[in-house]
Amino acid sequence: MEESEDVPKDFIKLKSEKLSVDEVSQLVVSPYCGAVSLFVGTTRNNFEGKRVIHLEYEAYISMAETEIKKICRDVREKWPSVKHIAVHHRLGVVPITEASVIIAVSSPHRAESLEAVMYCINTLKASVPIWKKEIYEDEYSWKENKECFWANSEK
Amino acid sequence: RLSPGRRRRRGPAAEGSSPRDGGFMLCQVSVLYFARSAELAGLRCETLSVPREITSLQLWEEIVKVHPRLALIRDQVVFAVRQEYVLLGDQLLVLQPGDEVAIIPPISGG
Repeated sequence: MEESEDVPKDFIKLKSEKLSVDEVSQLVVSPYCGAVSLFVGTTRNNFEGKRVIHLEYEAYISMAETEIKKICRDVREKWPSVKHIAVHHRLGVVPITEASVIIAVSSPHRAESLEAVMYCINTLKASVPIWKKEIYEDEYSWKENKECFWANSEK
Repeated sequence: RLSPGRRRRRGPAAEGSSPRDGGFMLCQVSVLYFARSAELAGLRCETLSVPREITSLQLWEEIVKVHPRLALIRDQVVFAVRQEYVLLGDQLLVLQPGDEVAIIPPISGG
């Protein structure tokens, strides 16, 4: 296809089904891009000595999608050569080692997609209304990203 | 996008009243509760009748009157009004019927 037909696209999805690295990277592949960079956020099995059984995510879905679109728009302003962006975030129960978020960005050369992926995950953690609950054996805890400026940093 | 102290917005005065009287006119807004705030309030959404012109702190106080347990998280929440973040403070809101107001505890996506 002509490059003018390979219109830059944003692929944003919040879903409760298992995420797929293959699917997300395929979304952003382009014959005009030599680089696809990925971030996969997975669930760890421990926090401060406590065993994590699983995670649960919830979201203000309509606003989360809007905020992710703003992040994509910012990425394109900062790195104009970025071609496609995909952000998939899982909602509901996420078992240990499974992915809770996958971000993929394509660009002609690697520097832009690598930087854009990092910007995406950092900004998502600061601005997208999604919440994570860690379930331990005897209790649970609502997590707070350090990037969130309205969280108490002292507990 | 998230800087504190966002500019004040003043909307048009309600018909038949001066801007300073706009506060007594009520409107119905959809209040959405998430994460810890949903646990404390015991529900995820409801319609509340609040003054159309109100500061964000006053709006919080109206909601805490209905759900006193929310006072526990007062220092850790912001609002999202029409899907824009608003700090609890003296920012004047001009609400429209049907506006979404969401209680936003500290986020933890990603």
